[in-house]
Amino acid sequence: MLDVGFVSSLLASSIRAGTPLLYATLGETLTERSGILNLGVEGIMITGAFTGFAVSVLTGNPWLGVLFAGFAGMALAFIHAFFSVTLKANQPITGLMIVLLGLGITGFFGRSYIGEVAVYINPIHIPHLSTLPYLGEILFTHDPLAYIAVILAAVLWFLLFKTRYGLEIIATGENPEAADSVGVDVDRVRYICTLMGGFLVGIGGAYLSLAYAKLWTEGMTAGRGWISLALVIFSGWMPQRAVLGAYLFGGLDVLSFKLQAIGVGIPYHFMKMVPYVVTIVVLLFSVIRKRAAFGAPAALGIPYVRGKKE
Amino acid sequence: MRSYLSPVISILASLAVVGVMLAVMGINPLEAYIVMFSRSFASRFGLAELCVKTTPLILTGLAVAVPLRAGLWNIGAEGQLYMGAFAASVVALYVNLPDFLAIPSMLVAGAIFGMGWAAIPAFLKAKFDLNEIISTLLLNYVAIYWVEYMVYGPMRGKEVYNFPFTDLFPDAATLPRFFGTRLHLGFLIAILAAIVMYHILKKTEFGFAVRVLGANPRAADYAGISRQKIIICSMLLGGMFAGIAGMIEVSGIQLRLRPAISTGYGYAGIPVALLASGNPLLVLLSASLFGFIYVGGSALQTTYSVPVAVVYVFQALIVLFIIGGQSLRRGDHA
Repeated sequence: MLDVGFVSSLLASSIRAGTPLLYATLGETLTERSGILNLGVEGIMITGAFTGFAVSVLTGNPWLGVLFAGFAGMALAFIHAFFSVTLKANQPITGLMIVLLGLGITGFFGRSYIGEVAVYINPIHIPHLSTLPYLGEILFTHDPLAYIAVILAAVLWFLLFKTRYGLEIIATGENPEAADSVGVDVDRVRYICTLMGGFLVGIGGAYLSLAYAKLWTEGMTAGRGWISLALVIFSGWMPQRAVLGAYLFGGLDVLSFKLQAIGVGIPYHFMKMVPYVVTIVVLLFSVIRKRAAFGAPAALGIPYVRGKKE
Repeated sequence: MRSYLSPVISILASLAVVGVMLAVMGINPLEAYIVMFSRSFASRFGLAELCVKTTPLILTGLAVAVPLRAGLWNIGAEGQLYMGAFAASVVALYVNLPDFLAIPSMLVAGAIFGMGWAAIPAFLKAKFDLNEIISTLLLNYVAIYWVEYMVYGPMRGKEVYNFPFTDLFPDAATLPRFFGTRLHLGFLIAILAAIVMYHILKKTEFGFAVRVLGANPRAADYAGISRQKIIICSMLLGGMFAGIAGMIEVSGIQLRLRPAISTGYGYAGIPVALLASGNPLLVLLSASLFGFIYVGGSALQTTYSVPVAVVYVFQALIVLFIIGGQSLRRGDHA
């Protein structure tokens, strides 16, 4: 069973399964780089999944759905930003409440959309390239959103590490006092990053309902938001590493189903545990070795109050 | 006085927002709230259900509250609950004990496994300063998949027609019920746990150390209090309560192990503890409020077919309003 055809179809589906994770991971990476810890990813993602689906059903335009999923994500992220930046509230708790809010609201209003059929986003087979043996199937048979995700990762990498804006964002996440002292508006940077992050996480949700699963059910994110939070840590807050990480964790998800289907002995549930266990181990390494390349932004989750050293 | 006002205002504000949501769905919010109240308070079955839902919330509330008093966030009560339920089920199904020992052994097993699951993040926090919010959160999923694996695999019952359930527990392993309702002994155990914990925090040296560490870590150092010891002990106590919650849920309500034994009780423990500001006696009060929301939520479902998810919205809003109110009073937001 483990022939080249199996492997290439596994890799192709890893990319599809990894794409929603990638959007969410990139969004949360941007948010956390500015020093805001938004644990609400799961709730924002499910809100994106529902909004995208509903808008596509109502308008017949899945791309409009994707756009509104982003806006819905932004709206929830705004609540988080308001509490975290303006009210200086406890970020983990606010984030967890965003999860409950997202699951609750979509469960509440989503009931009537279960079983509906939306207009979906379909794969495009890139001419010539997609007919390449194996490689064609793996790389060139995806939907536009999957390609956009990779481009986005590159853009985010460039933004963070090669531009002045990136410098300001990273400074805000590492040392807001210093950033403030050289004239960076810490609150503004954190608001923008949290809102843009929410936008991307929302699109990740829309990818799930409109391109990956092609349906809407309550709670359909099924833990992908938490996996994305883990991925941010796993990738060391680096967009470029997030691409590989997302496809890897996406691949694990696919593999657990495929192995179960062909009756290989590794229990499905153990495969599902892997991302969480791996993330704890990675986190532990980063703490023990204190390696900057794998470290969290130093001011992550700490409210910034001007003139008050915490 | 003001500290009592804030939760009340938050609850009313949440009721107002959810009322708007209900109105959008074409349901008269006032009628809906009357349904919620009458279903919970108008019959002994309603009252019993209220106690049944309150029971795990008291325990998970304590599971969050005790570490919270030491300045730690235990987001892992959900996973600790599952591990406790798992251990209690193993004892109930596979260990041959005299009848009178079954329940106490299950209780101990549940407590130990809940503690054990909390010991991992506690140790990582004390030894490596690994963020306990992230580690407890991630471990929840490991515990839930562990229980799923068990009920789909090794522990699946012989008489369950391929459902992912264990067999029913023997009678000696189920908690006694009262008044012909689902009200069971676990309710009293939970109340007792809260009272005992209140006295431990208030009267003992350990309780004093916990409170000092939570209030001011540097003062704890000056007072010669070992941070590591308190971190580990308070997390273990928290895990113990969550583990007991798991034992009580399988032994009092489910009567077998199956997936999804908790409808977010572990996470609900966070608002419960927060609303009670970590005070075990107030946990009794805030747990019954959230118990009421759970019962009222299912009443709305049966009467208006409103999805139970509305319970989550209530929880989230109450907490957000409380946090918002606290921040506004603290006044450092300007």
